[in-house]
Amino acid sequence: MSLKLDPTTSIHRRLLILLLPPLALLMVAGGFADYRASMVFMRTAYDQSLTDAAVAQAALLKVVDGKIYAQPASQPQPHANRPEKFYYSIWGPDHLLISGNPQLSAASGEGQLAYADAWLGNHRIRVVTYRVPTAAGVATVNVAETTSRREAARHFILTSTWLMDFILVDATLLLVWVGVRHGLKPLLAVRGQIESRSPRELRPLETTAVPAEVRPLVDALNGLFEVLREAARSQRQFVADAAHQLRTPIAGLVGHLELLTQDPAAAGLESRLAVLRDGMSRVAHSANQLLALARAEPTANLADHFQDTDLVPLVERVIERNVDRSVKAGLDLGADLDAASVAGSAWLIEDLLGNLVDNALNYTPSGGHVTVRCGGGVSEPYLEVEDDGPGIPEAERSRVRQRFYRLPGSSGHGCGLGLAIVEEIARLHRAAVTIDAGAGGHGTKIRVQFPGFSGLPQGKTANTVTS
Amino acid sequence: MRILVVEDNDLVADAIARGLGLAGFAVDRAPSAEIAATALAAEHFDLAVVDIGLPGEDGLTFVRRLRSQGATLPVLILTARETVAMRVEALDLGADDFLMKPFEQTELAARCRALIRRANLNTNGQLNFGRLRIDVAGRQLRIDDKPVELTGREWLVLECLAFSAGRVVSKERLQQTIARWDQAMTPNAVEVYVSRVRAKLADAALIRTVRGLGYRLDEPEA
Repeated sequence: MSLKLDPTTSIHRRLLILLLPPLALLMVAGGFADYRASMVFMRTAYDQSLTDAAVAQAALLKVVDGKIYAQPASQPQPHANRPEKFYYSIWGPDHLLISGNPQLSAASGEGQLAYADAWLGNHRIRVVTYRVPTAAGVATVNVAETTSRREAARHFILTSTWLMDFILVDATLLLVWVGVRHGLKPLLAVRGQIESRSPRELRPLETTAVPAEVRPLVDALNGLFEVLREAARSQRQFVADAAHQLRTPIAGLVGHLELLTQDPAAAGLESRLAVLRDGMSRVAHSANQLLALARAEPTANLADHFQDTDLVPLVERVIERNVDRSVKAGLDLGADLDAASVAGSAWLIEDLLGNLVDNALNYTPSGGHVTVRCGGGVSEPYLEVEDDGPGIPEAERSRVRQRFYRLPGSSGHGCGLGLAIVEEIARLHRAAVTIDAGAGGHGTKIRVQFPGFSGLPQGKTANTVTS
Repeated sequence: MRILVVEDNDLVADAIARGLGLAGFAVDRAPSAEIAATALAAEHFDLAVVDIGLPGEDGLTFVRRLRSQGATLPVLILTARETVAMRVEALDLGADDFLMKPFEQTELAARCRALIRRANLNTNGQLNFGRLRIDVAGRQLRIDDKPVELTGREWLVLECLAFSAGRVVSKERLQQTIARWDQAMTPNAVEVYVSRVRAKLADAALIRTVRGLGYRLDEPEA
């Protein structure tokens, strides 16, 4: 069978296409064979009684003086249970009619007994021809009956066979349909498992409820996940090592540059030193950001170490760290704190908030305000940083989330990793980051909405399954 | 004030030594834990700045050894490699503060000053902050050696801010501190006392308001 199935056709569809038409054909052929067999049995039975009648008629032939005479047999009369009309004709060796209906001719065939379907007038009849040897030669006895009983029986067999067949076909199709559906359930479960995970999740798939055929596939996938995890881990390690290695020399350079700026011997070089310091602090910032990003990679499996984290002291720490900077930049950095706590990594959330505050301080001009808020208790905890700076145009809001993307024409120390880090950490915490305009349509308001406490220890449940 | 800088990287050690020197400290350098131990045994230092990644004995082990030998001098840890565990471990071991590389010279100097100030408070009940001389035991404030009169509540506000000088003190904490003296203390009343202290300090020190959080005692801006 050269059935051309698209290789992408679903197994469900494929099984149905491969199974249903041949099964239906088979059932139809089976029904037809049943019908034929029943017809043969029925005809044999009816022909036998007709033959008996012919033999009885032949027994009444007599030969007198070399001539054959026929005694008329008692003709069965048609009645309600026996509606058939009987005909007979007896022919001599010289093909002369001896007795009976002259229109009833012999069935073709040379044997002693021959059968045929024929027409008599407008009646369909069944003829049996019995050739009887007598002293005066071979007499031919033809007996015929109309076929209404045979028709009725044929009709009955036809209907019952087809009805049965129809029921069987339907039942089989239904069973195949249900069976295929049910049989594919474990496969669908695996699909569900893969679909429900985030694309960045590299946890192994659960293998306990996987059917034997799919097991190698799932094992292969898990192997691949493992390789990816390992690759991501070593990449992260590499980035972290590189950043660490850079930090000590950067610290030295930053220190010396700072000293040079204060050195009276460097008088007149202030502007050039300022350029150098600015560049150096960008390098330092980038090294820190790369490290933060490496820490926040989902492959770090930090979700396993999530703890009940109170956001209020966390916000206080971040603000405290940035007070000097805001004073230097002429900004009013403040807070509006309400009870809020999440299940998460305090370390990472501090990185997240640090980056948001960092951005706000970078992009808000002197005299502006930056306000950090938290609240929502345990049911819908959130962090929010609002500034009254230039704001992010609506069209740019999705792009600023990408790594290394910076707003066109923007100044400041950013390396374009800040919001990417925020996104990464938010993702780890299943938190949603929204970027809006601040109050009155001015500035930027970035809100990180964490899931309620009950919905969180996702990492923990997954962990207990895999370990 | 004498500081021992234990750092093997010359570039960093040199920058720190010069920076702290400019900030008015006397600085000695030790490129390894062994040399630092010898120096500490021989002479008096007010503070040690210790890098974690030292050749031979690492910074954390060195601090643990110092503390087990009963040394009380404040220790500020420097590190290029940060992990939560390391930060916790360093503070548990008896380090007093923790600074990530790279850092600003002014930040390092400010931290050193704060650590030494705290150590002095512990040893002789004196708290020096810029032009302020706060005699905690004698309940006396001097600005440029001139005594300044404070009421009981004003004193509590100043003490509370000065103990955490350079750090934000929350309004709630101030409120609780003063509430022992006056049950009906409101947040507004805290503001009143803070502004009174602010007026008495005049230009000798700055009480900075951090919106929504609290207050911070700073040295006046240059």
